[in-house]
Amino acid sequence: MADRDRLWGVVYALPALALVLAFIAYPLASVVYHAFTAWDGINPPEWVGLENFATLFEDPLFRTSLRNNLLFALSVPIQVTVPMVLAWLIYERVPGWRFFRSTFFLPAVVSTVVVGIVAQVVFRLDGPLNALLGSVGLGALQTEWLGSAGTSIPAVLLVVVWANFGYNTLIYLAGMSALDPALREAARMDGARPLRVLFSVVAPNLRRVMELVLVTSTVTAFAFMFAYIYVITNGGPGFDTYVTEFMIYKQAFAFGRVGYACAVGVVLVVITAAIGLVQIRVLTRGTGA
Amino acid sequence: MGAAVVVRRRERWKWPVVAGMALISASALFPLYFLASNALRTNADYAGAKVGLPTILSADALQRAWEGASVPTYLRNSLVVVVGTVALSVVVATCAAYSFSKLRWTLRGKAYLLVLVWIAVPPLILLVPLYVQMVDLGLFDTYWSVILIYTALNLPFNTYLMTAFFRSLPDELAEAARMEGASVHQILWRVLLPLARPALATLVIFNFLWVWNEFIFALLLLPSETKTLTVGVLQLQGRFNLDPTALMAGLLIATLPVVGVYLIFQRHLVRAVAAGIGR
Repeated sequence: MADRDRLWGVVYALPALALVLAFIAYPLASVVYHAFTAWDGINPPEWVGLENFATLFEDPLFRTSLRNNLLFALSVPIQVTVPMVLAWLIYERVPGWRFFRSTFFLPAVVSTVVVGIVAQVVFRLDGPLNALLGSVGLGALQTEWLGSAGTSIPAVLLVVVWANFGYNTLIYLAGMSALDPALREAARMDGARPLRVLFSVVAPNLRRVMELVLVTSTVTAFAFMFAYIYVITNGGPGFDTYVTEFMIYKQAFAFGRVGYACAVGVVLVVITAAIGLVQIRVLTRGTGA
Repeated sequence: MGAAVVVRRRERWKWPVVAGMALISASALFPLYFLASNALRTNADYAGAKVGLPTILSADALQRAWEGASVPTYLRNSLVVVVGTVALSVVVATCAAYSFSKLRWTLRGKAYLLVLVWIAVPPLILLVPLYVQMVDLGLFDTYWSVILIYTALNLPFNTYLMTAFFRSLPDELAEAARMEGASVHQILWRVLLPLARPALATLVIFNFLWVWNEFIFALLLLPSETKTLTVGVLQLQGRFNLDPTALMAGLLIATLPVVGVYLIFQRHLVRAVAAGIGR
């Protein structure tokens, strides 16, 4: 019996192991190796030791990119709390909850390409946002939203938060659907208002779900911003909205500095791995789980 | 008295709360409305107003987009890639999850970690080496290139999801079947899989949406007649610089299939995710 498990255990796990090793671990190792070389992607790479990293930490573009990643990470508290409140309102059957539940997930369904191109039009000087501002008497606020860093970063941030809130709301809803109904009823009997019930009774029991949302939103700010930047601002104006991923892409494909791009990639992986580890450790501490 | 409580509970919802929710819903619907209304107007009309209803209804833009983006070809490519990836992902993740949750073998814990640890690797940094690798393997510009890459990139999450789900099923189920002489394979196919439908639905939906919307690997690896619809539409942006309504029409055409799939599955979505996050 046990021998049979041993054999088939390996056999069943093998395809998954082979795929991640071949198409994640191997290319990642290649990135790490080439981070120590000067390589244009065509000619043979040339070993340069730590030179790329030395250049990197002096590079103002890298600093800008990393700073923008951090700015995008500032939205994490919003991404953790707002969807929780929205999910709670749906769970509590606010009038129209079915409709809200169906529509909230739509931004997560529509592709980043589509969202990005629509956002570009919306934020333009002659776009709907400025038209709206003009029609409600706030014409003074009209501006080319993607025309300067001061407004384009908040604009992209808004799009990212908007594109992800439905996904997070859905995860909270799933978590709430598994809660013991007695919890909520008991609090209700005491006459607590719905939001009080949410923060004092429900939220503490949703710890695992909050953890999931917290980790995914933080990792998103560092590891999954590329599509938004590529489609909405293309890094501009100038280099103002570069994020680390976008810098890697440009260095490799526009400037042929593939070795250098690999060095940036190594730094980025170190950052995302650290976030994942730290957050999981902080959040599993004291839950007894 | 119970009825009175219900009534009071109803009244407690202040209208600003509902209005706020309605506003968020409106923002979620806005892109679809925006695409549809602009796909159906003329470029002259678009220059004047982008948000109101079209003054002259016209399907010309839809036709220009349909031809300009080679929609039938690219749509077929997208379907091949999506179906291939989702099928491979489901099979590989399910088998691995079965091994990691219900079969006992020596290095099981370490092997599970070896699949999971890649979860925070930004896919973009692998773009260059994977491109080189696909050229070397002779898979460049074939559907297999992106199917293999997409499956691998999503495996850590998919395997985590399925393993968490299988672990939530009591071991007695498998033990009982084993007592009755079921083989290792029969336990998976006959006992566990029929119970795993909600978790499988979650996998299918999330992977479908992810693959349909992915564009950077597809852009790089499928440059010819193998292009996916999302990439085809993205490239309309350059070509239709002076034809914005055709661009909107193209975006609409690329969006409707995913919205359709979502509307079909959405009733099951919450339950599926609840099952998927291992509760």
